[in-house]
Amino acid sequence: MVIKVLEIIAAVIIALVIGIFFLGLFRKIMARIQWRYGPPIIQPLLDIFKLFHQKGFSHGIIFNLGIILSLAASIVLILFIPIGGLSSLETSGGLFVILYIMLFKPLGIALSGGEGANPNISIGISRRLILSLGYEVPLLLILISVMTYYKTISIVEIVNAQSNFQWSLFSPLFLSGLTYLMILPAILEIRPFDIASAPQEISSGPAVEYSGRYLALYHIEHAFSLFISIAIFVDLFLGGGANPFYFLLKMLVVFVLGVFIHAVFPRFRTEQAIRYLWRWPVILAVAGLIIILVIKARYG
Amino acid sequence: MDRKNIKKWLKEHGKMSHKYSLWVIYFCTGCGIIEIPPVITSRWDAERFGVIPVATPRQANLFLITGYVSVKTLKAIIRTYEQMPDPKFTVGFGSCPINGGMYWDSYNTIKHLDKYIPVDGWIAGCMPRPEAIFIAVTHLWTLIDKDMATGYIKYREKYKYYRANQEKVLNGLDWPPLYPINDNEETE
Repeated sequence: MVIKVLEIIAAVIIALVIGIFFLGLFRKIMARIQWRYGPPIIQPLLDIFKLFHQKGFSHGIIFNLGIILSLAASIVLILFIPIGGLSSLETSGGLFVILYIMLFKPLGIALSGGEGANPNISIGISRRLILSLGYEVPLLLILISVMTYYKTISIVEIVNAQSNFQWSLFSPLFLSGLTYLMILPAILEIRPFDIASAPQEISSGPAVEYSGRYLALYHIEHAFSLFISIAIFVDLFLGGGANPFYFLLKMLVVFVLGVFIHAVFPRFRTEQAIRYLWRWPVILAVAGLIIILVIKARYG
Repeated sequence: MDRKNIKKWLKEHGKMSHKYSLWVIYFCTGCGIIEIPPVITSRWDAERFGVIPVATPRQANLFLITGYVSVKTLKAIIRTYEQMPDPKFTVGFGSCPINGGMYWDSYNTIKHLDKYIPVDGWIAGCMPRPEAIFIAVTHLWTLIDKDMATGYIKYREKYKYYRANQEKVLNGLDWPPLYPINDNEETE
């Protein structure tokens, strides 16, 4: 029991530290690509410290609760994801729970931002929800392919089935893995899919009325969701990891790939993003699902 | 730069984090917009010192007013300043906010910005080079270290004075006072 509680706390702390480290690395790599020196790698930590020391403006009780709902959903999600050998809530739920709770993040932000009564927030929220509608369709198809191939909904069993380097990225699930990589920028909300938080168009969207400690919670939530979406990819397609260190190394590779995509692409318009997300990833995901079904029908 | 001084971080982490995480909102009224992009992009890279531009006054703690201030933009400047969370710092960039500069006899330009909002530091010149922003930032660090960058406290304490000046030049304001006006306050 005590070990279980310690495992849960350790998982959350690992996710927080790695998420904030990724935010710092993100800014550093972007700076190096743009031929700048860049901020120190702990700069996001300093920013979060500063935001907690600032006097924030609240816009009512729902404004405070919405961001906490979003943060809580991220923390719960971390417990369902095995981090290397560390899996806190392995027996329950599985991929369906992950799919459901992933929607709470934009919903919490929408609930909270709606209280702010700023037109930029309304535009940002509508774009954010449209974007999640865009990537949920291929994501569901990918998860169905994975569940059909391994005949289980438990993410821990999927990770165990991939031990000894039988990664599902190099199995018949190849197309599904490729599709997840294609929608990963949309899940991470980086360019070309940062339509919801476009600072030049709509003054950073849903975050426009956040200040002080509310903005700090928003940043922490962002760090968590960065961790979650990459961890799901590593667990489903890159075989998890024998220990947390190995797992985090795989995450780092996927994350740096995402930063490179962010650095070179301009931003989509909303309807361009939806057109892309509902065309190529969906076609590839359906093709991957058909391949899996044929293989299962033939070889059992 | 004492960003890596762990002892100081443990002792006064609030002050230190305010120093090394200045989020700037630029108010480029007329000139000055040319000097800002080189500072935040590759040429002079202000992000090294934690200085980044933000899109909304709610998230900013450094207010940079570049170029001349006309009566019409003064209204927007006051609104922006009042929306920023405490503690907040203001820097006037260029000669015009200091004393009017080349607009010294203009009928429609504010001559002394510090009559309307408190200003923590000035950068003189017409226009100053982009490097001058770094000098201003390092001076601001010194001021924060010595507890001298207290413009936001001054604004709260002397609100009657500032509000009276604002109402005088703008012929009345159409929003309620930010702080309760203290009648016993001595006007300068």
